[in-house]
Amino acid sequence: MSSFFDCYEADTARFFDEVIAHDGTPRPHYDKMLQRFDQFSNDDIKARREVINIFFRNQGITFTVYGEEQGVERLFPFDLIPRVVPAHEWQTIEKGLTQRITALNEFLKDIYHSQKILKDKVIPAELILGSQHFRREFVGINPPLGIYIHVTGSDIIRDHNGKYLVLEDNLRTPSGVSYMLQNRQAMKRAFPVLFDKYKIRPIENYPQELLRTLQEIGQSARREPNVVVLTPGIYNSAYFEHSFLARQMGVELTEGKDLVVNNNKVYTRTTRGLEQVDVIYRRIDDAYLDPLVFRPDSKLGVAGLVNAYRKGNVTLANAIGTGVADDKVIYSFVPKIINYYLGEDPILENVPTWLASNPDDLKYILANLDSLVVKAANESGGYGMLIGPESTLEQQEQFAEMLVANPRNYIAQPTISLSRHPSFFHDTELWGCHIDLRPYVLYGNNITIVPGGLTRVALKRGSLVVNSSQGGGSKDTWVVDE
Amino acid sequence: MLSRVAESLFWMSRYFERAENTARFLDVNFNLLLDLNKITHVDNPNYWIALILVTSDKERFNSLYESYSAESVTDYLVFNKSNPNSIISSISLARENARSIIESISSEMWEQVNNLYHSLQSVTPQVVHNDPYMFYKEIKNASHLFQGITDNTFSHNEGWDFIQIAKYLERTDNIARLIDVKYHMLLSEAHHQAEIVAGSEDIIQWMAVLKSCSALEAFRKVYLSKIDPDNILRFLILDRSFPRSINFSVCAAEDALWRISGSSRHRYVNNADRLIGKLEAELSYTTVEDIHDKGLHDYLEDLEQRLIKVGAQVHLTYFAYHTPEIESDSSDEALPFTGVAGGRPNWSQAQQQQQQQ
Repeated sequence: MSSFFDCYEADTARFFDEVIAHDGTPRPHYDKMLQRFDQFSNDDIKARREVINIFFRNQGITFTVYGEEQGVERLFPFDLIPRVVPAHEWQTIEKGLTQRITALNEFLKDIYHSQKILKDKVIPAELILGSQHFRREFVGINPPLGIYIHVTGSDIIRDHNGKYLVLEDNLRTPSGVSYMLQNRQAMKRAFPVLFDKYKIRPIENYPQELLRTLQEIGQSARREPNVVVLTPGIYNSAYFEHSFLARQMGVELTEGKDLVVNNNKVYTRTTRGLEQVDVIYRRIDDAYLDPLVFRPDSKLGVAGLVNAYRKGNVTLANAIGTGVADDKVIYSFVPKIINYYLGEDPILENVPTWLASNPDDLKYILANLDSLVVKAANESGGYGMLIGPESTLEQQEQFAEMLVANPRNYIAQPTISLSRHPSFFHDTELWGCHIDLRPYVLYGNNITIVPGGLTRVALKRGSLVVNSSQGGGSKDTWVVDE
Repeated sequence: MLSRVAESLFWMSRYFERAENTARFLDVNFNLLLDLNKITHVDNPNYWIALILVTSDKERFNSLYESYSAESVTDYLVFNKSNPNSIISSISLARENARSIIESISSEMWEQVNNLYHSLQSVTPQVVHNDPYMFYKEIKNASHLFQGITDNTFSHNEGWDFIQIAKYLERTDNIARLIDVKYHMLLSEAHHQAEIVAGSEDIIQWMAVLKSCSALEAFRKVYLSKIDPDNILRFLILDRSFPRSINFSVCAAEDALWRISGSSRHRYVNNADRLIGKLEAELSYTTVEDIHDKGLHDYLEDLEQRLIKVGAQVHLTYFAYHTPEIESDSSDEALPFTGVAGGRPNWSQAQQQQQQQ
């Protein structure tokens, strides 16, 4: 075993470790990396860390922490040790996600048209029709190519046996893809020799693929569809990503106030008058899109946008109302959804899930609150959840009350010990941190997944929460050909 | 080009120029007081109050500080975050605007404004106190570097023209105010106190004004060593080839505006072009005697007002978010000059909590 990793305790008895196998030897696809890191002194690591920090700061890659006065800008925590995914494992992920996203899109098309799946009682109708993300105004609307979810990012984890499972689907506006791209740039700058040793599949074409996807769903009446990115603005925590993608694609980055709807067509306001827009890659939630239809107090949206969309004069990516399919309750039905529309078994399995709305399940959940993870169906970012083994009796009682009061709103899953990956703590110490993986799926004429994704790291000792708002960081992810 | 992008280019450029000019104001005052150390001391309030008066910012200053001294005025003009025109605030606002159009400017431009912003965060009053010359020089150099980077990495089309308009409108305004410092000094008691060495003090003050515009050497090449107040006014206001004279700056702003709109001499297409053209024409036929007839201070104040009007018309013509089809309830609402803070136009920044959704 490499001396650099000598002080690293993988604890393979309790966790699946990405680098160290059960018998304590390194996994073969990490051999070359361990050898390389072996040649580094602490000072080398420090110097490389400095290179990377300067890179991120110069790029303006910071995120804003809310709640603190004036929104403090922080560097996104970055872990220097890359994750390696062998090609054969990636193949499973790629096939599994393609299958899953295809089925979910069919599901959305069905839900917003004839609702066969409800009539066949595969999913209880009240779960869909009662969901706050179901937009009945859009029943019968036909988005171009029949596609609802053009850009998605499902979160994938590995359990203690190393099996890949889908933890949740993000079908609205998944973020983080800019970190995936920038992490790769940073690693190239700091560890060029290491790159030479692996056949790493490139991800740099993501912006071009995204633009191609967006152009494909543009209306065909005009030769070159005019694509824009719509951002809530500079104070949004993902603003860097919005501007980064616009710049990489070479399209305009717009805020709501840059757009105007006239005669059911959408235009940008320019110094030379109005210019029509065909496709909007919107990074704004449904609720803020159009003050005339959704939240009337929204200052981020564009009055009249929804009508222009309904008339087919502009395409939104993603479509309105896709949130109904990434609800954590609907999540538990995805295996059935895949089977119903494609007649196939899911390639990537779900994490076992109990629905509080189901009386038997609710009984089980209430009896096992100390060992389960309870999640609110519509929260994201690691908020609104109870992690059983880490919770106090008081918190459990509080959740028990909420569960009984509003069962539709909760699900429970076993506490899964996510796989661990050695990560740097203060650049001096190696520690096994829990990780997940978010690959980005593009859906235009066909499905494209750039090889890799964002590996998020829970950079607090023992923490299972990988969200950046809760102290999570990220690392570069390499899909390598053996 | 999106109106919002044009607007942010405008304010990014304007605030950068403003930071540079504030550094020049302060730098020259330190130099002046060192030159005059035989007759006065560095903390002579009469010299510091002038800097506050020319920025028309007396009230806000008085609410924050008790007296006019090197320390309080430096703090107010360099560090104070509640002063939107302090160097720190100007650079923050320049960066804020740059950040909102980061995809439109070159990454070199962004890195320059971002680096300056970050390096300013660690500057303490002690640093400025120990070596004011060095600090102000760094600010001036950072601004020159930014302009050089902009000229060499950013396409010279519409966006670049908005950067030029902002830069030269701001510069004109600042030169006018700088010359006015001299007026305020004459009014103040500093004058009486120093009458013992009358004449020499006057010349030293005028030289300081020239220096703050980096104009002393250029001036000498034209007028040799005859430092005569009228020649100085001729040079700083009416010279057409020195880049920190009012006439030059107005011409440059006019050129940029005309490139955008396609206006030409005798043929304007909007009010911004008309007002700047009128100003330029008048400057071309003005003599220093005309200025004295009107009174130097009044002349400069009038000039500042007219520049503000040009800025307001640029806003209405190119940035205002209203279209012929959809008229907003009140067209005043869109004006950015919410507070003409310190008598100077400022970017209206509507912080949107919702953006954090």
